[in-house]
Amino acid sequence: MKKIKRMAGLTVLNLIFIIICLLALIPILYAVSLSFCNGGSGLSSDLSFWPKDPTWKNYSAILVEEPFLLWLKNSAILSVGTMIAAMGTAVTAAYAFSRYRFKGRNGVLQALLILNAFPQILSMFAIFRLFKTFHLLNSYLGLIIVYAGSMCIFSIWNMKGYFDTIPVEIEEAARIDGAGSGQILMKVVLPLARPAIIVTSVMVLIFVWNEYLFSTTFMMNEGSYTLAAGLYQLQTSDYSRSWPLFSAAAILVSIPILIVFFCIQKYMVSGLTAGGVKG
Amino acid sequence: MKNRQKLRPWIYSLPALTLVGLIVVFPILYTGYISLTNMNLYHWDNYELIGLDNFQRALLKVDSGFLKALLTTVLWTVFNMVIQVVLAFFIALGLNVREMKLARVYKTLLMFPWAMPAYVSILLWRVGMFNTEFGFLNKILLSLGLGKMNFLSENVPAFLSCMVLNLWMALPFMIMMMDGALQSVDRSYYESARLDGAGFWKQCRYITVPAIRPILLPSVIMTTFTTFKQFDIVYLLTMQKGSLSGATLQTIITYAHQNAFVSNNYGLSSAVSIVIFGFIIVFSLFTNRGVKEEG
Repeated sequence: MKKIKRMAGLTVLNLIFIIICLLALIPILYAVSLSFCNGGSGLSSDLSFWPKDPTWKNYSAILVEEPFLLWLKNSAILSVGTMIAAMGTAVTAAYAFSRYRFKGRNGVLQALLILNAFPQILSMFAIFRLFKTFHLLNSYLGLIIVYAGSMCIFSIWNMKGYFDTIPVEIEEAARIDGAGSGQILMKVVLPLARPAIIVTSVMVLIFVWNEYLFSTTFMMNEGSYTLAAGLYQLQTSDYSRSWPLFSAAAILVSIPILIVFFCIQKYMVSGLTAGGVKG
Repeated sequence: MKNRQKLRPWIYSLPALTLVGLIVVFPILYTGYISLTNMNLYHWDNYELIGLDNFQRALLKVDSGFLKALLTTVLWTVFNMVIQVVLAFFIALGLNVREMKLARVYKTLLMFPWAMPAYVSILLWRVGMFNTEFGFLNKILLSLGLGKMNFLSENVPAFLSCMVLNLWMALPFMIMMMDGALQSVDRSYYESARLDGAGFWKQCRYITVPAIRPILLPSVIMTTFTTFKQFDIVYLLTMQKGSLSGATLQTIITYAHQNAFVSNNYGLSSAVSIVIFGFIIVFSLFTNRGVKEEG
């Protein structure tokens, strides 16, 4: 009797979870189904998820007719540029904050934490005005340094947490063998920290890939749209015709992020909490 | 030699600190300066210092809209956090029932909303779910024999729609954190509690919650910050340039953004930004201390 009750409870629980998963997936599945729609059939009012005559038309249209590849190129330039700028400056800084005890260390770390909590949208106008004066609007460089500034803070905290876990003894051993500070950093610490560096870099890439506000505000000509800006523009203009097209583009943009996310998801959780709040 | 040793950490961190100083700190200071001026579209170059007038206007005049936005933001944060923590707690409990063989599958599926780029999710909800023409929610309403509904045209439905979307986007993270915390609870506590005759609710209250509280606190605080700072959902759903949905919902961040980039009240917008930054500093000092005492 008890066993039957237990089984019934488990079945109900599984049912609940199937419903929850459906709720989580329906918006995405609906977009997938929309992206295979042929023209107006998405506008029909039945609840079916299977488009009437599925077609790849929207995907080929996005790749051929819309400047999707150009957006992709722009996003790639910005992501890689930001990654180089942010990581290049953050790695040594994170190492310094992890290994050296110096005056002002705690103050700077606390300040960085508070700056990290500051939403950059709030100073967007000030940056906009400054960039206008220095002719940095509509330029990759301008956007890259905006992204790199905020990502640098994040990367310092994220990697400092990892450097803290590398035993100092390894470095001391290298020092006894006669290695200088620079050599230790390049030849001992960085190779050891490779997983952290890779994960942090990927998070920087994802951030830039997903950013739309600064890229739509600071890049005003169509030739320099990023994927985010392009998508944004697809859903504002060309009213009803472009919904299937927009869905196809949205799916295309999301797939690489989904793949990367599920590859590094394990690190994502620990990195977020370690870098986010630890005082 | 001694001096060089002392300078080394500064040399290592100089490039990063320069970058942060130029692109993060300086614009904040500049925002502070703008907040003291009457800079707007007509006074782009010939603005003048007007002292604290902008702050007065934002904080003391009810019709400036800031106080209303602040109230909305507080309600938004409280509702979202309470619902999120409670739902995530029960879902994670469900995932940790011992005989759940499919828990891993569910977990992977539930992660999708978190993995999607946020702005893509929001636009997909706008296009696919809330759309008045063929949005999924309206299709459901129609098939139930009800009329179509414009979810985003009035404030209350728009607020609830934004909240549903925020929960959809934010719950996976909270569930995973809860799940991780629950797995760290020693099962033997439950066994002895059961021997003592404690039911499900008593076990939750006296074992589960106290055990996971310290582990969860950092992620709950972090999520509270992100919820408080949430901009994208309200902005992309209801106030996109050229396609306003009709709702006049404002959080403090959208309020600051709108004053800077739509109504061109740069001085007022900057004053609001500084006030918000003040809140954030107070919050984070407060919570940092709380976390340390707790741990």
